Amino acid sequence: MRTVTFLPSYRKIEIARGSTILDAAQRAGLNMNVVCGGQGKCGKCIVYVQSGKTTFDGQKYGRFFTDDERSRGACLACETSIESDVQVFVPESTLIQEQKILIDGQETAIEFHPSVRKYYVELQPPSLSDPSPDLSRLLWGIQKNGGPTAEKMYVPLEVLREIPAILRHSEWKSTGTIALVPGGYRLVDLQENDTSKRLYGAAVDLGSTTIVVYLWDLVSGKVAGVASNYNRQISCGEDILARVNFARKNGLAKLQTLATESINAAITSASNTAGIDREDIYEVVVAGNTVMTHMLLGIDPAYMIAEPYVPVVRRALSVATGRIGIACNKNGGLFVFPAVSDFIGGDIIADILACGMSEKEEISLLIDIGTNFEVVLGNSEWMFSCAGAAGPALEGGEVLFGMRANPGAIEKITIEPGMLTPAFSTINGIKPRGICGSGLIDLLAELLSTCVIDRTGRINTGIENPRIRTTGHFPEYVVAWANETDIGKDIVITENDIKNLIMSKASVHAACLTLMKQAGITRREITTIYFAGAFGNYINKNNATIIGLIPEINIDQIINIGNGAVTGANIALINRRKRKTLDEIAYRIAYIELNAEASFMDEYTSSTFLPHTDLTLFPRVQKMLDTCRVAKR
Amino acid sequence: MAYDLHFDWSSSITEVMLGATKAEGGTRRLSYRIGGGTTLPFLETTQGSSAPLIAFEICDNPQYWSPIVRNYCGDLVNDCGEWAKTADSGYGSDMIRLYLTSTRQRNFSDIPSVGKTVESVLSNTSLPLIIEGSNEPKIDSEVFLKCGEAGQGERLLLGTAEAGRYRSIAAAAMAYNHSVIAQSPIDVNLAKQLNILLKEIGLSRDHIIIDPYTGSLGYGFEYSYSAMERIRFSALKGDTDLAMPIICSAVDTLTVKEIREAGPAIQDDIAVQWEFTTGLAAAIAGSEIICVRHPKTIPLLRKAFASLKSGKNTIGGQ
Repeated sequence: MRTVTFLPSYRKIEIARGSTILDAAQRAGLNMNVVCGGQGKCGKCIVYVQSGKTTFDGQKYGRFFTDDERSRGACLACETSIESDVQVFVPESTLIQEQKILIDGQETAIEFHPSVRKYYVELQPPSLSDPSPDLSRLLWGIQKNGGPTAEKMYVPLEVLREIPAILRHSEWKSTGTIALVPGGYRLVDLQENDTSKRLYGAAVDLGSTTIVVYLWDLVSGKVAGVASNYNRQISCGEDILARVNFARKNGLAKLQTLATESINAAITSASNTAGIDREDIYEVVVAGNTVMTHMLLGIDPAYMIAEPYVPVVRRALSVATGRIGIACNKNGGLFVFPAVSDFIGGDIIADILACGMSEKEEISLLIDIGTNFEVVLGNSEWMFSCAGAAGPALEGGEVLFGMRANPGAIEKITIEPGMLTPAFSTINGIKPRGICGSGLIDLLAELLSTCVIDRTGRINTGIENPRIRTTGHFPEYVVAWANETDIGKDIVITENDIKNLIMSKASVHAACLTLMKQAGITRREITTIYFAGAFGNYINKNNATIIGLIPEINIDQIINIGNGAVTGANIALINRRKRKTLDEIAYRIAYIELNAEASFMDEYTSSTFLPHTDLTLFPRVQKMLDTCRVAKR
Repeated sequence: MAYDLHFDWSSSITEVMLGATKAEGGTRRLSYRIGGGTTLPFLETTQGSSAPLIAFEICDNPQYWSPIVRNYCGDLVNDCGEWAKTADSGYGSDMIRLYLTSTRQRNFSDIPSVGKTVESVLSNTSLPLIIEGSNEPKIDSEVFLKCGEAGQGERLLLGTAEAGRYRSIAAAAMAYNHSVIAQSPIDVNLAKQLNILLKEIGLSRDHIIIDPYTGSLGYGFEYSYSAMERIRFSALKGDTDLAMPIICSAVDTLTVKEIREAGPAIQDDIAVQWEFTTGLAAAIAGSEIICVRHPKTIPLLRKAFASLKSGKNTIGGQ
């Protein structure tokens, strides 16, 4: 065994010789930024070996480092194996940081009809003249207090076993918890004395990156607490594919455990803040993508990632929370949103519930953008959906100075047309460290309208300006000079970054066009575009239209619903009637496989232009660009 | 003919002028006005619509050229002035396309020689000229400016602009009133994008010829055919950003395996047939300029075009 000491925290871990530094870091509980899942592809897990012997192919991975980093002995944690006892310095930028997380669902007036209720009963003790059994006595009492009909209530054996003692010990004053489950009503718990005011439920957005939990007081119908944290599965790979591959290699158990641990951590943190005992949480509603929910339930997701992309289950599921290790009342229920396909999961059904598009006559377009994107088009009568890989560019991946929406990320930019000087703001207002998705969209739109780039995203190197230069392989535009930044180097956007961004936006737009074609409608018939996902909330709608990320419609008709997944989960938690419609919504949605759609590549290529090869699809943008670009020329 | 050959098409291909006679400010003995089509080629019912032009390709450094052509043309390949002269008077081509292959050497810097080469070809033939510049973005600007300057007034066709490098060639074309070949990789959308880019930096539509990139017969030509067809359909339906004449140059044809590995006795014939079939198909798809490298392909194509015009089958069967 070798001892690895991580600096600056001096965290120590023992690990077998030949293990990678990444293995050791994960063992030590350091959450490193491994976008590629530890395959030596992303270059984000930079560490410095201070002492001891390691092996690392600096030649092979040299491209990830600056001269300065190289001279200081930088290496990639995932590709460095440990030979002797070592000391490893981990820079802050290598660790996953606090993220700006969306916790505001929309303000929707949803009727309060939770599916779990508590009933406090004071029963007459049995006597020779009234010798009816304990259970009947209890259930009649509940029925008398407004509960369901006694005969309709099912009581599991575990609860039944506890009834006699609890009733007698509490002197026949106790509180029963009744849940409406797919099979009917069920007595899930019996407690001594009056605990009827202590009934909570959790709505969970199980994202592949972030987990958000809303804790609801199911008696008062108010939010009791909110918490969020990273999905700990990130340590097994940043993207879903990497995680499924991890599961295939190392088994599903670890990912299942990490998913429940992540949810538990968020539930615990929300409970602690609100001063709630987790035992009083009786229901957990989870909306997540299909792979995430499969993993949470410990169902093998391996068959979903290869053709013909088949999930094990798509309908809504209810199980006891205790069976998968969720930290709440052991008899509590877990409800998992239904899915449409591998790629249109419960999170999207939750988005649909949140925006209400399935109840409207007018046609809406719902776009949820992350590393993958999902698009749903339709109304109360029909709905088409599709999904694809947008690539990580819009989230700051595959972009030299791209970063997630962490403190220091440039999130808004404008460029002054004359001197091409940018003005930007960063998250938390600190010196910039990189550029996040919304900043990148602004940047693209501004570079286009100031003619720094042409419509294919190529930088006009003929412009005489110190901000436009070619230092490495690609021409680049300097967004911030080294002395203005927090990282001590110039923050630039390269032509290659721009190309990646354009490819990302092209796949989203091409997906929209493909669905519109399938439905036989034009952009004019779309009444509303809903942007879901954390990303959507910060996006500049006008700039998103200028670069042709979305079809051009009136800006006022573009609505950010924010984290639709958690909003949908909230709705399903507090309103059981809405929850009942979910399966029906999911089955109504037709899934269009873009890979099988012959015209998709064509739509994609025509979308790899700013805003689009067919400029008639973007009349407003075209007019705007004509004005500012002509003025510039 | 009793039926309408314009279907639901209402637009026409933009006309582009190539070459300039004395009266037009140049020194060519003739000039061409290409484009103007309102339907697919060889369907034209109107009189006077012309057959596609045949351009013979030469170069100023034959080490990059097919040995088949080098063998056939002999010593001519070492003197592009003489070669051009023979292409004009001997081979009977309509245009000369000069590839400045000499600029492809590493660290090429002899820009004045480019001007001399262009001047030499211009003085040895009075046919309109197509000039292919360097393959190296670093010297693009100088090479194109030199070509443009040397051919000032001659309404040259300069090649080749691509989405990744179009500014310097467009600048040279605009400065000296030449036209530009806009090449994109076998895709109607990419072709359109490049035309929009050229338009946006100020090159007018009637100075652009589309090169949709031609794969060799048997090696992807069908994709090129389909791209040409789609470009033409879009143009006829009114997409002005695609309504430019098309040039086809299947530059890899003479290096395909079937020709490379053919026995010496039949190699020449196979090469000619290959080039002929490619050129003919491209003409039917809509190309206004067909480029060839083997002299013997020229009369074959000419005969085929003539027969298609007259409706008589005079090809083969002899």
